[in-house]
Amino acid sequence: MEPLLNGTGITRSFGPTPALRGVDIDVAEGEIVAVTGPSGCGKSTLLHCLAGILRADSGTVTYRDQNLGLLSEAARSRLRRTEFGVLFQFGQLVPELTAVENAALPLLLAGSGRREARTVALGWLDRLGVADLADQRPGAMSGGQQQRCATARALVTGPRVLFADEPTGSLDALTGEQVLGEIVQVARAQNTAVVLVTHEAKVAAYADREVTLRDGVVDATGLGLGMRA
Amino acid sequence: MSPGTLARLAVAGNRTDVLRLVLTAGSTGVATVALLAAATVISVQGYADRYTSALLAEPGLRPGVSIALVLVSLPVLALAGQCIRLGAPARDRRLAAMRLAGATPGESVLIATAETAVAGFVGSSTGLVAYALGRQLIAARDHFGRLRLPTDVLPPIPVIVLVVLAIPLLAAVIGAVLMRRVIVTPLGVVRRTRSRGPRPWPGLLIAVGLVLFGLPLNWPDGWHRPDWHLPARLSYGVLGLGVVLVMAGVVLGTGWISHTVGRLLRRYGRMPSTLLAGQRLITDPWHGSRTLAALLVAVVAGGATLGFREALATDIRAQRSGGSGLGAEPEFYFNAYRLVLIVVGLSAVVAAAGMLVALAESIVAGRRSYAALTASGVPRRTLAASVLWQTLTPLVPALLLAVGSGVALARLFDTHPPAPVPVPFQSLGLLGAGALLAVVLAAGAGLLVLRSSTDLEELRV
Repeated sequence: MEPLLNGTGITRSFGPTPALRGVDIDVAEGEIVAVTGPSGCGKSTLLHCLAGILRADSGTVTYRDQNLGLLSEAARSRLRRTEFGVLFQFGQLVPELTAVENAALPLLLAGSGRREARTVALGWLDRLGVADLADQRPGAMSGGQQQRCATARALVTGPRVLFADEPTGSLDALTGEQVLGEIVQVARAQNTAVVLVTHEAKVAAYADREVTLRDGVVDATGLGLGMRA
Repeated sequence: MSPGTLARLAVAGNRTDVLRLVLTAGSTGVATVALLAAATVISVQGYADRYTSALLAEPGLRPGVSIALVLVSLPVLALAGQCIRLGAPARDRRLAAMRLAGATPGESVLIATAETAVAGFVGSSTGLVAYALGRQLIAARDHFGRLRLPTDVLPPIPVIVLVVLAIPLLAAVIGAVLMRRVIVTPLGVVRRTRSRGPRPWPGLLIAVGLVLFGLPLNWPDGWHRPDWHLPARLSYGVLGLGVVLVMAGVVLGTGWISHTVGRLLRRYGRMPSTLLAGQRLITDPWHGSRTLAALLVAVVAGGATLGFREALATDIRAQRSGGSGLGAEPEFYFNAYRLVLIVVGLSAVVAAAGMLVALAESIVAGRRSYAALTASGVPRRTLAASVLWQTLTPLVPALLLAVGSGVALARLFDTHPPAPVPVPFQSLGLLGAGALLAVVLAAGAGLLVLRSSTDLEELRV
């Protein structure tokens, strides 16, 4: 099957420190891929390169025949708000905007009307069980509620790929499991591919496939358990 | 992005952002009033004995009054520039979150500048209303039917519109320029820093400025020839360029002074506060240039004015001893200089207010490191002392340079004094001490935010 997202020979360094040293990775449509490995192995850097947040020093990242390395910063930003969704551990919501405004942000940036964007965002907040907090600011919400709100924002445009970097890292075990279950459920329903960075085996167990990094190279690739599939 | 979305994202903020909007609007409002007043004065036609002040009645003096009013607006605009930076770290983090959601780099700059433009427009509109109301309130005539101010004259409508629209535009441009070293990425904010310390080349700017200023004045038979119109205009241009270069040299030279003072403090300082201050001065030597720019420009202007006044006093003394006299009352000229000095004083006060905003902003921006130092046992008084060292040690040499440059301009202007012109050390000392006092007061007020910024809760944010 033709991969939706392909990375070939990706290298990336920060100053003299190499983070990625020639990583190859494919993600198919609707597939959930977990990127695992110990701290400092380059998991997050790989996700950032695949999402177009960082440019690879060498190698190519291709999304639907588009070489991300050849796109401008603005073009990659537009790709992130239409084709990609991004979900981080924390620090991703705008604290001064309400939950519904945060969730609607990609639509608003893309030029949608405020009423239309709000309706779509409310639908997503409702689907993730936080519609009653629509007019609350992130500061008034718990970590799990914030992460559900961030998930709504990541999925509001109906992205083809969701990039999730330790999405449950700041949550307690029970809430983390609930949030992750919701992410996977929604992704399956929408046929959205997910690149899930984690260092926890039980989180990686949600994936169809697991890619393990060590010292900036792929150490092992194997099938995941695809739990809750 | 629709204009409605842009406006919503631009004004989304916390209490600091609201304060930034209010201060930006306030300072642009004052600048608008000053510029509209300047436009009003220049719009008065011919000899106007309907005004009580000769400065407004004499056609030859009105341009000077207008220029003085424009000069007052400059430190106010500089204050607006300082206000734009207030709470910038929190705003930059907000922009980074928007970048993660898909905002392009251009959109993030647009959102930040739109906020400044909105605040500037609110300010300039308020300034226009204040100007219109003020005209009504002070329009009363005295017993002789004369007006204190030209409230019977209105500048052309296109000029009013231009001022009201140009100020928010200028504020937005200043905001965009201030962001040139800030790279907002989806992963956070990166600030470009210069790897090399400042060099003393601004000294060259001062030297070139003084040479340019002295050149037309000392050129044999140059600009005094009545049939030589173009070179005369050129001469005025060169004079103006010379003044601008001297002022720029003093402001930019403060960066080098800060860096050098920082190195000396770090090398010879024995107290923790001097070591902290020294390292901060080395890390960001341009902080002093930014925060003290308006004050230093005002001090250069003040030094030059005091120099001119002393030259005039010498001239009058020489003429009286020679039996001749000036065409007009000497007191009239001294009053004009007094007016300029009042403008300089006002500018210094506004500049000190800008410094207070900048100082409070730098403390708030570095609150995590201040809180970390407090948590590790550094007393708050040590931190307060380090802030004072950081502010005052580069200021004293910078003030000396500014006063000296101003006096040098005055000296070059008076090419053939009838008698040696003494240096007005007493007045210059008062000017420098006044500027120093303004900064000390501003720094003292700025330290009030240090206590809340060293709260250990800051480490949990």
